[in-house]
Amino acid sequence: MVGESAPFGRRTFLRGVGSAGILAAISPALAACGGSSSSTWDGKLNFMGWDHQPEVIKRLVSSWSTANNVPVDVSISPNVGYAAAIQTRLRGGDPIDVFYNHSYNSERFIKQDWATPLNDLPGVDDMVANLYPSARPRYVQADGKIISVPYYSAVHLMHYNKRMVEDAGFSGPPKNLDETYAQAQKLKAGGLETPYVAYWIKEFCEEYFNVYLLSEGVIPFDDQGDPVFADDPKTVRVLEWWQSMYRDGLAASSVLTDDPGKLSTELAQGRAAFFVLHHYFLTAVRELNGPESPNLFHAPVSATGETLQIGDVLQMGTITNEDRKARAWDLMKYYGWKDVDGKFTVLTEWAKSSGLVGPYSDFFDDPAVIAAFPDYYDLKFLSATFGTGSNVMPVRNQSWYSAFQMKVGDHVHNLLLGNATPTETVKALTDAAKAAKKGGGL
Amino acid sequence: MALTLIRSASRAKVSPMSRADRQFGLRLSAPALALLAMLLVVPAVLTLVYSFHDVPPTGIAPGEFIGLTNYETVFGSPVFWSSLWVTIVFSLGFVVVSTCLGLGFALLLNEAFPGRGILRGLLVIPWACPWLVIGIIWRWFVDGSVGGLNGLLMHLGLTDGYIDFLSNPRSALIIAVIGASWRQACFAAILLLAGLQTLPKELNEAAAIDGAGPLGRFRHVTIPWLRPVLATVIVLNIIYAFLQFDVIFAMTQGGPGDATQVLSILIYRQLFVATDIGTGSALAVILALLSLVGGLITVRLLYRNEA
Repeated sequence: MVGESAPFGRRTFLRGVGSAGILAAISPALAACGGSSSSTWDGKLNFMGWDHQPEVIKRLVSSWSTANNVPVDVSISPNVGYAAAIQTRLRGGDPIDVFYNHSYNSERFIKQDWATPLNDLPGVDDMVANLYPSARPRYVQADGKIISVPYYSAVHLMHYNKRMVEDAGFSGPPKNLDETYAQAQKLKAGGLETPYVAYWIKEFCEEYFNVYLLSEGVIPFDDQGDPVFADDPKTVRVLEWWQSMYRDGLAASSVLTDDPGKLSTELAQGRAAFFVLHHYFLTAVRELNGPESPNLFHAPVSATGETLQIGDVLQMGTITNEDRKARAWDLMKYYGWKDVDGKFTVLTEWAKSSGLVGPYSDFFDDPAVIAAFPDYYDLKFLSATFGTGSNVMPVRNQSWYSAFQMKVGDHVHNLLLGNATPTETVKALTDAAKAAKKGGGL
Repeated sequence: MALTLIRSASRAKVSPMSRADRQFGLRLSAPALALLAMLLVVPAVLTLVYSFHDVPPTGIAPGEFIGLTNYETVFGSPVFWSSLWVTIVFSLGFVVVSTCLGLGFALLLNEAFPGRGILRGLLVIPWACPWLVIGIIWRWFVDGSVGGLNGLLMHLGLTDGYIDFLSNPRSALIIAVIGASWRQACFAAILLLAGLQTLPKELNEAAAIDGAGPLGRFRHVTIPWLRPVLATVIVLNIIYAFLQFDVIFAMTQGGPGDATQVLSILIYRQLFVATDIGTGSALAVILALLSLVGGLITVRLLYRNEA
């Protein structure tokens, strides 16, 4: 039987494998041609997000889908590695209509035609007008291009243990770097081994760096995106302070690799008293129900009242079919702004479950939103911080910026470990920012 | 006598297949080979092509041909050399620890003792865990505040207080090696145990009659018998070592500083954070060549005596 079969030589085989290889090589391009850019549409939308409360995401999208009679395929990826996952899918031509994105990738995705500008879509100008002016530069570029809508926003605030601070004889939380050092030192002398926790893991050092510079009144980058933090002596002062907090044992040495889950537990269990991070960590600390959880409150990072506003975004994929685009935009408005009844349905859900904020000027006036936040949130303070006390730093959206971002951790760790002086670190960071802006290099 | 038996066993050859059988075999494996070509060969070739181009971030087209510029950028960067050094140190540690530990496990589990079946079953658990999970488990195990390792060391009286292993550049690298090797050693042990179980008892008996002690039998009977499996294990360990990413990333993200930043982490940062596909591809090609050369040298060294 086998001997009777048609001849199948090595050449034939290699030809077959070669054809398969060529097919595989061109398949991403073919997929791209037949995917999102196709003018025909099967009536279904694709939505992709990361795994923060996946069941809630599915419920919220499903609710919109049922109300609008548009099936939505929801795809959830792990938060760790999400950027790589979505870039791989988009690079392969996978059509995704609406997706979560890290805001630092949003401008780049527009440049790469993986995301569509939203100008001229119905209601988009109203949405932009509804944003806090402080938040607007994250979603609207300087040239007026609207690149995304909010998924959520947050501001960096000091979380402090009121009971511990008062028991140590202080009238309130620290108002500047020196006071933080002094309070932490006194608490340490009183037996609290590591009073200060910081999110100094490599990937977060850049965000932390900007928070502390802003809170000290330093403008880190100018309007052209050039680094100017070296011009202000307060930058060196911030790094000197960081180094002394770490070197003097006021922060645990493990903070270089600790995740925020662990740091929240440290606060809840009373093993730390100060933590500067996104405001919504107060929810996490309180919900841990540790012995000190009820004693944790918010305060400004410093007396200047300035801080960094962060947030991730929703973007629309490249869609040419007008009907599909209109439906995708409806979904985005519902998910990132208001529903058809003008209610912050989705954002209220995130506020309730995680303390996240929609960066809209009337967000904190909405009774449903007010009810969604637990009592321990000072919503007036939070609203004022969003309104006038925070900066999104538009440079952080620029496509070159992530190349700088990934360098900051290396330099900050060297500083904390005592391998570089604050002055050397400032110079190294300036050089890294300039090199990243120039492009190329490792 | 034992050695003669081993050599004669290894020289036994399977009778050659007929041409028709080979053609039939080729047809049966063609779909799998085509799939492999699509999943492995095509991306590898594209990566090589990208490494000579100024690739736009979309990666849809290779962009402008720029010759060796990406390689010049890589070789001119101190970040690369530092990362290469970390990769070599990590890989050496990983290969040695995982192979020796795997061999130790296999020898132990090849002996008869109560509970051996359960222990053999347990061996599969770390191997079945994803690398990322292994990294997270080890990060908590060695944690400087609540880690089990610190508790154990203190109970044994070996340390006075908790130590932050991951905040010290040197100990972070050592812990990364141990964490990754722990999983790989289990995999190595499974392969080596399978090899040990094919070792005829007569060989050891003959060696004992010849006057060989336990060490002599291990050196002159067990190791030669295991050589093909050992070669496979070591080559796989080398490949896994050079490609290691998840465990280190979960534990330290390449830190503190750049103390554990192996080339695979540098490639990830270059490709997916900085979106510099050209330089990232050049780094990937260099890493692939390193693991290839490492594997080839190992095979050559292991089979040198048989030439």
